[in-house]
This record gives sequence, C-alpha cells and structure tokens, in this order.
Amino acid sequence: MAYQLSFTGFAWKNLWRRRLRTLLTLGGIAMAIGAFVALVGFSRSFEHEWARLYSSSGTDMVVVEKTFLETSLDERAGTKLSAMPFVEQATPMIFNMMDLTPEINAIVFGWKGNSYDFNSITFLSGKRFEDGKAELILGDTLAGNLEKKTGDTLELQGKAFTVTGIYHGGSALEASAVIMPLDQLQEISSLQGKVSGFHLRLRPAPSGESEDAYLKRVAKAIEAALPGLRAERANDWATKNQFVGLAHAVAWGTSSIALLIGILGIANTMAMSVFERTREIGVLRALGWKSGGVMMLIQAESVVLGLVGGMFGLGVGYGALRLLSRLPETASIVSSSISALDLAEALGIAVLSGLIAGAYPAWRGAHLSPVEALRHD
Amino acid sequence: MTEPVPQLEVRNLRKSYDDGRIEALRGVSLSINAGEYMAISGASGSGKSTLLQLLGGLDKPSSGEVLFQNAALGSVIGLDTYRAHHVGFIFQAFYLLPTLRAIENVQVPMLALPGNGNSRAERAEALLREMGLEHRLYQYPNELSAGERQRVAIARALANHPEILLADEPTGNLDSVNSARIMEILTGIQNQRGMTLIIVTHENEIANAAPRHVRIRDGRIEA
Repeated sequence: MAYQLSFTGFAWKNLWRRRLRTLLTLGGIAMAIGAFVALVGFSRSFEHEWARLYSSSGTDMVVVEKTFLETSLDERAGTKLSAMPFVEQATPMIFNMMDLTPEINAIVFGWKGNSYDFNSITFLSGKRFEDGKAELILGDTLAGNLEKKTGDTLELQGKAFTVTGIYHGGSALEASAVIMPLDQLQEISSLQGKVSGFHLRLRPAPSGESEDAYLKRVAKAIEAALPGLRAERANDWATKNQFVGLAHAVAWGTSSIALLIGILGIANTMAMSVFERTREIGVLRALGWKSGGVMMLIQAESVVLGLVGGMFGLGVGYGALRLLSRLPETASIVSSSISALDLAEALGIAVLSGLIAGAYPAWRGAHLSPVEALRHD
Repeated sequence: MTEPVPQLEVRNLRKSYDDGRIEALRGVSLSINAGEYMAISGASGSGKSTLLQLLGGLDKPSSGEVLFQNAALGSVIGLDTYRAHHVGFIFQAFYLLPTLRAIENVQVPMLALPGNGNSRAERAEALLREMGLEHRLYQYPNELSAGERQRVAIARALANHPEILLADEPTGNLDSVNSARIMEILTGIQNQRGMTLIIVTHENEIANAAPRHVRIRDGRIEA
C-alpha cells in the first residue's frame, strides 16, 4: 500500500521538524496540566475524604457556627439538639490542626468517649480512650509516621498523653488524625465548654415525606431553635465547608497560572513556527489550500501540542498525587485516586489550551497574502 | 458560428505596488486558448512573474480583470477554488516541503480537496512513476537531486487534475541536461493531456521553442 499523508500526520511532521522546541513546549504544557491534575486532584481528594468522614460514621447533619468553622460554639447546645424529636443522636466534636513535631502536623479531633463517631473506625490494637483521662488514639498512617504504638506517650501542648489504641479510619482524614477526649482537647486549647460543632444522626423520615424535604425541614427547625447556628446536610457540608472551598480556590488559582504559562508557551511556539514557515504557507495557498485549511492545519498543530502535552501531564500529575499521598505532611488529606472524569477534564483543558494558544498564529497564517508569503525568505 | 471562448483572458491588466509608486503591469491584454503552450519572457523586473501570478489567481490586479472560461477571477470564481481545481504551479526553487517524502509532497495539494487517503497516495505514486521517479518515492527532498526535485514538483502540480500548468522559471536552478529533461516532460504533458502550459522564462532557447512567445517589457507586452 502506498504511503498515505493525512492531515494530522502532516501537522505532526511540522511539529516534529523542530524537535527540541516541540519537546520544550510539550514539557511546559505537561507541567501545567500536571500541576492542574495534582492540585485539583488534591483539593477534590480533600473534599472526598471529608464526605467519607461523615458517610462512614453515618452522620446525617452537621451543626456549626453560621459564619465560620471555629471552636466557639457552646457545648450546651447539644442538650437542646438531643431533645429535638427528629434527632436520634447528637454528638459534640472539636476539629483542629496541630503541630505534633516540627515536621508533622495533623488533624486533631475531640470526641466524647461514647460518640457514635467511633463506628467509622476500626481498632488495629488497643482500645478507646476514656473521657477525663490524658489519653488519645492514633490513626494508623499517623502512628506509622510518628513511629508510635499502643502504650507509648505523645506530648501535646506540653502535656503527655498515653496512646490507648491505633485505628484504621474510614477516611484518610481520620487515618492520619489524632482523636482524643473532647474535654482534654478543650483543656489544652483553653476552650472549656466550647466545641466546633455537632454531628447528628436523625430518625428516619416520616413515611410520605421525601428525604430531601425531611432534611430541609429539620435544618430549618434547628436553625430556628438555635439562632446563630447553621444546620447542613453532612454531604453538603463536606463539599462546601471553608477548608474545602479554600483548597479548591488555591488549586484552581495556582493551576490557572500554570495553564496560562502553558498556553503562552504554545502560542509562542506556534507564532514562531508560522513566521518561519511563511513561504511554505504561501506554497500551500498556491497549491490550492484555502485560508480555512491553513488555519485548521496550524490549529491542529496547536491542539496536538496541547493533547500530547496534556497526556504527559496526566502522568506527571498522577505521579505528584501519589507522592503527596505518601508524604507525612500531606498523607492525611490526599489519596492517590483520581477519577476518570477528572482526567478527562484535564485532557479537555489541555486541548482547549491548544485551541486558544493557536488561534492568533492560525489567523495570522491564514491571512497571509500568497504572493507576499512566497516572497518571504 | 460563435467564437470559441478563450480559456484565459486578460483585459487591460494593471498591477502596482507601494501605493502606486511601482507599476509592475501597465495594461496587459491577451487571450490564451485551452491546450495552448505559451512562453512569457522578459528581463528581470519586466513584470512577467507578476503576470503569471495574476493568471494563477495568486494575487488580485490593481485594475483590469482575468477571466477563466469567461468567469472573472476573484468575483465570479473564487481565487482559492480556481487554484485548487484549475491550475498547477511549478516554481524555480521547487518549494517542496522538507519534512515530507516525495510521495507525501505530491499529496499536499490533494489535502485541499475531498478524497480518501488511499486514493490520494495511489495517485501520487502513479504521478511519480510517470515522472520516472518510481525508485525515489520515499526520499525526502534533501535526498533528491535538483532535477528529481523539480520532477516531484511537476507531479505535485498535476495532483488535482488541473487544466492549466503555470511554471515560473522551471529550469532556472537546473543544469542544461536536467533543463532539457524538465522541458521534455512539460511539453510531453502538455501534448498528451491537452493541457494549457504557460512558462515564464528568461532563457531565449526555451521561449523560442514555444509555439507562442509573449515578450514583456516594462509592464507591457511588446508588439
């Protein structure tokens, strides 16, 4: 069979002609897409782990301060919540971040010794802590990083705590966390009587009322009974809370800068390529290529750069996520899993970047006068 | 009995550059019939290449018009369409694309028109065989001699079945042996296919060998 020349093959050969420049441009877009995959994957993974935190314990609703997640909510509100007819269980909790060593920081949860939140974790060794005692339990990932086992002590805020158990958490947030008695965390944080929020388990929705309508009604009733507080479905809270929002904003912001640099790299490569190939473009026009065909060729080259760079970028991003999921500093909030949808989104952005970057060089190439282009040296 | 319509007709063609300060063509009129072989000669800067570019629809005249089968180029028939379907260009410097093999270079004009890859490749191979290049199908331009490159360029010019071949100094970069070979091929194509062949040349021997010879001087046809 004779040697066929396809449109995309032609585009690729044009790119491959300047191998070094093409490879450098591919490197640029790969880094940009890699940063996007890693950062957005990081923030989505963070969001996912929040959602798992609640789903694994069976929490239906979260009650927190209306304005911001901080440990300033009066613990006595729990009595009112528990008394509400639709509430099966209300358990107070504190959520905090703490430096355990100069290198390792971790999420620290304050729970009651009888909290139903314990349902989400499985003890690998030891047992629960007791309220009022200087005890705590460690997630298995964190215990490994700290090289601690049941019976060891861990110093927090100048106070020694006995490790009573090592557990495996339903979420990566728990697997790399410290869980300690609520009263002990209040004491070392000087927050006596204060909590970050309440986790609620609700009674089943009355027959005839949809789950959605029931949850809306419950949230409204809680907010009416406890002014200044916000009742959110656990899943909504997991995806909308300030930590996740901040993680998303940082991820998208940083990725956008990386993508912008990647787009400028492709645009520069394509603009130089069009300039260097001016006479060839004139030849194409003389051979019957319409301006639209020339534009498509340059856009195709630009899209190929975006697509191939994007595919390398997926690998770079996935590698970065895997690395982050293993580092002690970030293991608590990153899992290396990334959805096919996220990968497709990243590849789509890479292709779109190519299209945007190639638009002006393509327009310029397409509008060259054939005679002027043929005269070009 | 009605007069046959000329394949190409040029009416009072003028072309100026640099805001009218340089006049390349100053009112050229001529008719070319289908299947005719015409040479255009003249000194450097006489306007012969400009005339060829306008005949090939590469540029628009400042005034006057070029008619292809009585249809005005640029208004009744689009220049892109005209170049894609009706004319084939051959250049002095060959202008083969360096990243493509000979057989791929010949397929480049065909990418401008609908068609499948296999038939494009088969036609390119047949044209290169016709040019005596069956052993050079997969060579890159830098692996070919100057004469071979021009033969690839001729095959490329024929790719889309044009009715008119326009050659701008086709032997300008060739030695005498290759020049003779290229002219033999071009006139052979013109004879066998009944194509119109218009050659711009400054070589008297080539110009005088053409059945019709038009001399251009200072942008005008010499009487």
